[in-house]
Amino acid sequence: MELKIRKSGDNYIIDVNGEMDLYNSYKLKELVMKMLEKKVEHFIINLENVDYIDSSGIGALIYICSTIKKMNFRLIITNIHGSVKKVIELTKLMGYFPITNSIEEAIQQMDD
Amino acid sequence: MAEKTYLSEIHEIRVDENNPLFDKTGLLYKEFPSDYRQIRYFTLLIVQSAPLEIKEINLLEQQISEVIKNAVKHGNQCKPEKKVRVWYSFDSTHAHLIVQDEGDGFKDLEKWNDFNRKRLEILSEQDFEKLADFVSFRTLKSDDNDGGNALFAALEYWNGGFVFNNKRNAVAMLKKFPQKKHAIA
Repeated sequence: MELKIRKSGDNYIIDVNGEMDLYNSYKLKELVMKMLEKKVEHFIINLENVDYIDSSGIGALIYICSTIKKMNFRLIITNIHGSVKKVIELTKLMGYFPITNSIEEAIQQMDD
Repeated sequence: MAEKTYLSEIHEIRVDENNPLFDKTGLLYKEFPSDYRQIRYFTLLIVQSAPLEIKEINLLEQQISEVIKNAVKHGNQCKPEKKVRVWYSFDSTHAHLIVQDEGDGFKDLEKWNDFNRKRLEILSEQDFEKLADFVSFRTLKSDDNDGGNALFAALEYWNGGFVFNNKRNAVAMLKKFPQKKHAIA
């Protein structure tokens, strides 16, 4: 799994590339925690290039989402598809996670 | 009436050793040491015998990987000398597996069912604030890498059943795949 950060206005977009599984999902969690330490407040997690997620990956997203919510900062998860979407649906978390279909939509929601 | 309908939809993990899903007749068999680093590799060795017609093979692989992970980590405590035994069969209509470890069994099964029942009630109320406390099932043995959500998805995914044996160290499961409807000429 590879993580890249880019900036769009006040928003930090994290592009996740690869599989979010039991061996590497902690990396995303660690990255977000470091960014929070550096006072980042607006996060967009882009899962366009993620075709596989397991319960550790879902667990990492839950942890990130609940931490950011508690701090009253903003998070949007975007571009979920295929089996990633299925796993989130099976876990019944589609309503829990703030989700958009595209980065553009995520940025628009952040700016609203 | 509405309540009755809703309750009947609540899935539970059951203990039912006499369930036909524990019949091993005609199933393939593999066993593995409890090596955490190789969970996905072991899963692939099993999934490779699934026919190509199965759609969402990624999802099938993920669901099997979760059950093997539970056996390796929570059942066998990652002790390499302890084996995970897997019986399995796949075709275009179904996936049937039995996964057994050498651990003490899933002792928190009732607690898990209680937790899940509350989770489903909160979901039906669409109370996402309260849901925050019910997105992850934790026990004293849970660590940071445990998502605590695998069994929620498992109960939904394994639509033909997901049952434990009496010792609770073996789980049998069945997925029925939707079949294409052929048009009548």
